Parts: sequence; C-alpha cells; structure tokens
Amino acid sequence: MTATTMPGTRRRMDWRLFSQRYGLFVVFLLLCLALTLASDRFLTVDNLLNILRQSAINGIISVGMMMVILTRGIDLSVGSILALATLITASMVQGGAEPALGLLVCLVVGGALGLITGLLVSVVRIPPFIATLGMMTFARGLALVYSGGQPITGLGDGFRQIGTGFIGPIPMPVVVAAVVFVGGYLLLNHTTLGRHIFALGDNERAAYVSGLSTRRITAFVYMLSGVLSALAGAILVARLNSAQPTAGMGFEFDAIAAVVVGGTSFDGGEGTVPGTLLGVLIIGVLNNGLNLLNVPSFYQGVVQGAVIALALLLHRLIR
Amino acid sequence: MTTVTGVQARRAIFASWLRRGTVFIILLTLVVFFSLASDRFLQSRNLVNILVQNAPVIIMAVGMTMAMLVGGIDLSVGSVAALAGAISAGLIVRDGLPVYTSMAIGLVVGLAIGLLNGVLVVYGKLPPFVATLATMGIARGLTLVYTEGRPISGMGDAYTFWGSGVVAEVPVPVIVWLVIVALAYLLLTQTRFGLHVYAIGGGEETARLAGVAVNRVKLLTYGISGLLAGLAGLLLTARLWSAQPQVAVGFELNAIAAAVLGGVSLFGGVGSVLGAVVGALIVGVLGNGMNLLRVASYPQQVIQGIVLVLAVAVDMYTKRLENR
Repeated sequence: MTATTMPGTRRRMDWRLFSQRYGLFVVFLLLCLALTLASDRFLTVDNLLNILRQSAINGIISVGMMMVILTRGIDLSVGSILALATLITASMVQGGAEPALGLLVCLVVGGALGLITGLLVSVVRIPPFIATLGMMTFARGLALVYSGGQPITGLGDGFRQIGTGFIGPIPMPVVVAAVVFVGGYLLLNHTTLGRHIFALGDNERAAYVSGLSTRRITAFVYMLSGVLSALAGAILVARLNSAQPTAGMGFEFDAIAAVVVGGTSFDGGEGTVPGTLLGVLIIGVLNNGLNLLNVPSFYQGVVQGAVIALALLLHRLIR
Repeated sequence: MTTVTGVQARRAIFASWLRRGTVFIILLTLVVFFSLASDRFLQSRNLVNILVQNAPVIIMAVGMTMAMLVGGIDLSVGSVAALAGAISAGLIVRDGLPVYTSMAIGLVVGLAIGLLNGVLVVYGKLPPFVATLATMGIARGLTLVYTEGRPISGMGDAYTFWGSGVVAEVPVPVIVWLVIVALAYLLLTQTRFGLHVYAIGGGEETARLAGVAVNRVKLLTYGISGLLAGLAGLLLTARLWSAQPQVAVGFELNAIAAAVLGGVSLFGGVGSVLGAVVGALIVGVLGNGMNLLRVASYPQQVIQGIVLVLAVAVDMYTKRLENR
C-alpha cells in the first residue's frame, strides 16, 4: 500500500499522523507561549515548579480516573474517598501513629472504598455513574460523621514531608506524581494487565469471551482509582496541615476534564498516559495563567469551561 | 423463531410488570415505612411540602430524561438554573424591567445554553458529559460575574408568587411541575418527535437511515433540558425570595439520580418521564422522612448513598429476571 502511494499523499498522511499525535502538545505550547508574552512572571523556574506542584494532586487522581474511563467507566467518588481516607489518617497520626503507617492506612482505606465501587460495577452490574455517585454521597457522609464536620489540624512534620518536602530542588508532590505517571505508563503499556484494560474498554464482550477476567480487571481499576485518590489526599492534607471533611469536592470534575482534554475517549479503550499528563498540565497552566493575569475568580470558571470546550473542538477538528 | 409457550409469555409479562413497578414499590415501601415511623409524615401539610420542595428537581429530571433518552446527559442544569434565576431577578431589581419580561428572558437564557450544549454535542461532536461539564463551569461563572457573588433580592410579589403562591389550595410550583410532566409525557408518547427521541436512543445510525432528522431532534432535547433547567431556576429563586449565586450546586446529580432510579437508562432509548418523577419523589421522600425522624444531616448522606445503590441494584436484578 505505502509503496504505491504518491509522495504528496504520503506527506499529507504524515502531517495527519503528526497532528493526531502532537496536536495537543502544540495546543499546550501555544498556551505557554501566550502566557509568556502576557506575563513576565510566567516563565520563571519558581512559577513553573509551582505549576507542577499545584498540578500534582489533580495529576495523581487523573491517572486513576483515566484507567477507569479506559474501561468505559467513570469515577465520581474520588473527592469523597480522598476526604474520608485522609480524615482517618489524620486522626491516627495526631494520635501518635508513625507517619508511614498513617500513609499506608490512607492508601488501604482508599483502596477498600474503591474496591467496593469496583465490585458494585463489576459484580452487581450497577452503571459506574450510579455506583460511584452512591459512593460519593456515602463516603462524604461518613467523612462528615467521622469528623463531626470539624477539620483535624496539626499532623506533625514527619507526615507533612510528603506535601512540603523536597528531593534536591524538586518538591515532593511532583516526585510522587512523576512516579505515579511513570508507573501508570508502565502498567498500561508494558504489562498484561494493562493490555487487558485496553481490551476490556475496546469491547467488553470480546474480552470476556477471550477468557479475560473482566470482573477482576474492572474491580482493579476502581480500586486503583481509590488508592490514587487517597495518595493525592495525603499530599493535600500534608500541605494544608489539616484534613477537612469537605476536602476534594469537585475534584472528580477536574480530573475528568484533564483526562478527556488529554484525548482519552469516553467510549473506552482509547487514551494514553502522556496525553493525560498534557491534559493535567494544560489545566494547571491555565489556572496559573488566570491568576498571574489577575483575572477575577468569578471569570475563571467561564474561561476554564470555554478553554476546555475549545481545546476539545480543536482536537476534533485536527482529527 | 421458536414459539413462545403460554407459561413463558406469562412469566415474561409478569417480569416486565415487576420491572416497571419496582420503582413504585420502592416509593411505596418508603412511604409505608415513614408513615409507621413518624405520625407527622402522612399529614397533608407534610405531603404537600414534599411536592413543593422537589418541584425544581422534578422539572430538571424531566429535561434530563429527554437528554438521557437520546443517549446524552446534561450536567449544566444546576448552573443554568442559577444563571436563569439571577438574570431574571437582576433585570427586575436593577433594570426595572416588567416581571414577566424578565422571567421570559430568564427562560430564553436557559434555552440558549441548552441549545449551545446541543450544538457542541451534535456539531462539535463532543461527548455530552464533557460539553455540558464545560457549560456547567461557564454558566456558574457567568452567574457569579452577573451577581458579583452576592444575592439579588426584592423582585416583588408577582415573582415570588411562582414559588410560594397558591391557586385553589394547590401550591403554584406543584401546578407548574404537574403541567410540565403532563406536557413532556404527551410529547414523548403522542408525537412524532417523541417517537424519534426513542428511536435515536435505540440506535442513532438506524434512526438516521430510517429518515429521522437526528441532529435536529438531539439539538431540541438539549434545548428543552436547558429551558426546563431555567424554569426550575425561576421557581427556586421565587421560593427563596432571592437569586443566590451558589444555588442549585450539585442539582444535576440529583436529577440524574432521580432519572436513573426511575428506570431511565444512561445509555439511551429506555425510560419514561413518569419514572423520573417517581425517582425524584423517592429521593424527596427519603430526605423528608429522615428529617422527620430527626436523623442528623451527616448520616443522611450515608443513607442516601446506600439507598441509591440498593434501589438501582434491585432494578438491575428485576431487569435480569425480565431478560431471562
């Protein structure tokens, strides 16, 4: 086929391939370029590190959200799971538990809650939207009951390292997020489980008939999403030095926006980890830019919504 | 084609009735439970209260049903309600426009954002979830900008009548939702448009090949959802006596939960407006009953989450019985 195509067509094919692969990256660069021109504070090391640090939490949640969306699901419960897991951890750490143990409990609680939604989806076959909406309400309610509506403040320097520490010049949250992204990439592209997640999202029936344990895979992605939400929550409370029962409200929408801007399809089976990273960074850079340019917070929702819609329309147009 | 025996047919019909009836049975169970648990539940004042309080969510759930029937979803309804309420109130209070002109403009704003959703989905080919997530942010932002983050009040009696007025002993919000539900029911069951809505939900490509103007019908369903969200916003604003910039946050999830509880499929083509209304009433009765039983507001959320999942699980189970 390629041997007989005209040189001209071939070049056009390459251009299409290029824009498909790197179109989003170009959007990102244009956004950065525009902000560099608009504000002389944008392109400084401090600010760029700041963007990365602020994007770390959404980034970690987005990796889990992406895996769920790859299986044609959705996870509305991330923010509530984050709140409940961190409250339990905060009260433990305040009670004198080792920071590492506190973190472990945080991840286990997140994973357990995620596993419950995963089983509701895969075994009881409740639509993901409803199962995770139920968990969202349930976990938020438990968080409020557990804390009596009061924040738990003062976690000690040991635990706070994960939010405020540095490795060399790199803030700890950025290191954690980087590990999560690399891990997510390796999981999806270099393990059997990763290929199975794609296969399941592409065609659940076919995956099932081919002998894949679709229930186990589905349960796994929701569990992972729960673990990563809890991890992001640990960073959040470490930075704030306070666990709040209302923490993480609306985080599900930020993560979904990042994942979808990053090119993951709601129809499942299609999406990349680097794409999700770009989606997270686009939203992070956008928020940062709006603040640098002193856009009043009331307008930020308008601009964010418009940019998300425009970025996606552009993406469609290119394809 | 195998012939269907009488027993099989009867069993199938029974399962089908059971499935359609599940949602009513759940509502009835809740009503019986709360009647026994609290002697104030069955008082007519309390029952009327439930019907009034849930008017906005019921009206939104009707619009949501339309969007879901064509395989979509509308996350913007809460924000659109806030925006429509704010603009209608602002036009009266700040600009001195007549009450009904202002209310009509509020409705037009709702319709416009609904149509924008439709354009993004139909012509922009954006997934409905994302398109309406974007307009949810935009509409909420516009509301904050327009109100400058402060409530607008002092719209006058002609406006608040729509929230707290009474006609022949029936509260106005109840009359409004009854009319909307009746109209939507007729639209979906008795008109060609309704037939096309179900056809698109059943299979978009098939519908297109059969000559259905798929794009126009989908555009209209999103427009209707926006219009009804605007109407719900007017009723809310009227009942609160002021337009609050943060009103109706999260109402989209209530409306979706109501529709799904009522048997509307998230994948399109299946469900009815009446089911969505019963779904909304289930959520409403549950909240009301727990208040009467003095359940604190925090545990209420825990119970709501469990009931939502349980109800849908029961529904999935009866559906499997039907398909067996």
